[in-house]
Amino acid sequence: MAHQAHAYHMVDPSPWPLTGAVGGLLMTSGLAIWFHFHSTTLMTLGLMLLLLTMYQWWRDIIREGTFQGHHTPPVQKGLRYGMILFITSEVFFFLGFFWAFYHSSLAPTPELGGCWPPTGIITLDPFEVPLLNTAVLLASGVTVTWAHHSLMEGERKQAIQSLALTILLGLYFTALQAMEYYEAPFTIADGVYGSTFFVATGFHGLHVIIGSSFLAVCFLRQVQYHFTSEHHFGFEAAAWYWHFVDVVWLFLYVSIYWWGS
Amino acid sequence: MTMSSTAMVARRALTAASHGGHEGGARTWKILSFVLALPGVSVCMANCYLKMQAHSHDNPEFVPYPHLRIRTKPWPWGDGNHSLFHNQHTNALPTGYEGPHH
Repeated sequence: MAHQAHAYHMVDPSPWPLTGAVGGLLMTSGLAIWFHFHSTTLMTLGLMLLLLTMYQWWRDIIREGTFQGHHTPPVQKGLRYGMILFITSEVFFFLGFFWAFYHSSLAPTPELGGCWPPTGIITLDPFEVPLLNTAVLLASGVTVTWAHHSLMEGERKQAIQSLALTILLGLYFTALQAMEYYEAPFTIADGVYGSTFFVATGFHGLHVIIGSSFLAVCFLRQVQYHFTSEHHFGFEAAAWYWHFVDVVWLFLYVSIYWWGS
Repeated sequence: MTMSSTAMVARRALTAASHGGHEGGARTWKILSFVLALPGVSVCMANCYLKMQAHSHDNPEFVPYPHLRIRTKPWPWGDGNHSLFHNQHTNALPTGYEGPHH
């Protein structure tokens, strides 16, 4: 058996970066094909390839870390840096949409009636479902913290319960938002109000779905004894991401739902 | 780097709190979940239910504002004139509400 004289992980050659890139290419060009030629084949193919890539790449990482012991402390430190940098990039992503919102709403143009909300727009009551959504996400932040402490203290059953509760709250948020989207008196085509509202909250909702999925994977892993009380970085990364999603919602709620109403 | 003894004591207390002590952490957050977080959600649910009951259900009169209901390019689904979450009852088309009764 070969040995290495360092604590780092020299990863084996893998096809997944290539399949992921090809998947990305097919999805983007497929989107253009759909818009102009009304065929969804290329886009669907790209989506399938992307989903397969994600499944197999992350499965391989779990194999390397949990089962083969490659995630030594320095390797874990690198993974931590990576997750922090990724979340930082997502912060900047959302910053752009907040910029668009404030640009449009602080100096509303004459075409909109010179006011915000624009003439003819009936806004959602911030103290109805949006407030409930805020409570749901804040509660999920508490339950995910309960989960983390349970993991650290070796409380297996509590960790499973609290993680399940967190995921259910995430699903409840998604269901509530979907209902709000359907019931809203305005659509994405209602000028810059509709555009900023649905693009900002829409990308947020997508991130809630991604975060819930990440937590669900952690749930399955916890059930299968992957995590130890000292080493559970996958869960920590999911929890960081979830808190980020919560914070973005708070900014959305205060800016678009409350101030913007 | 040396610190005053007060600073050292404070630092130790904060470290213990953030780590939740040796057995306090999970229990604390479990209590917070069931006493604060979930009841908070229930209160907001009740608030929503009550507020929705007090609503009137009539839509405002349709005014064909040019800055709303924009149709620069048709959507790539259906007849291209309905948004993804289109609701016949609450969303008017550029020509007005659909159907005889909304």
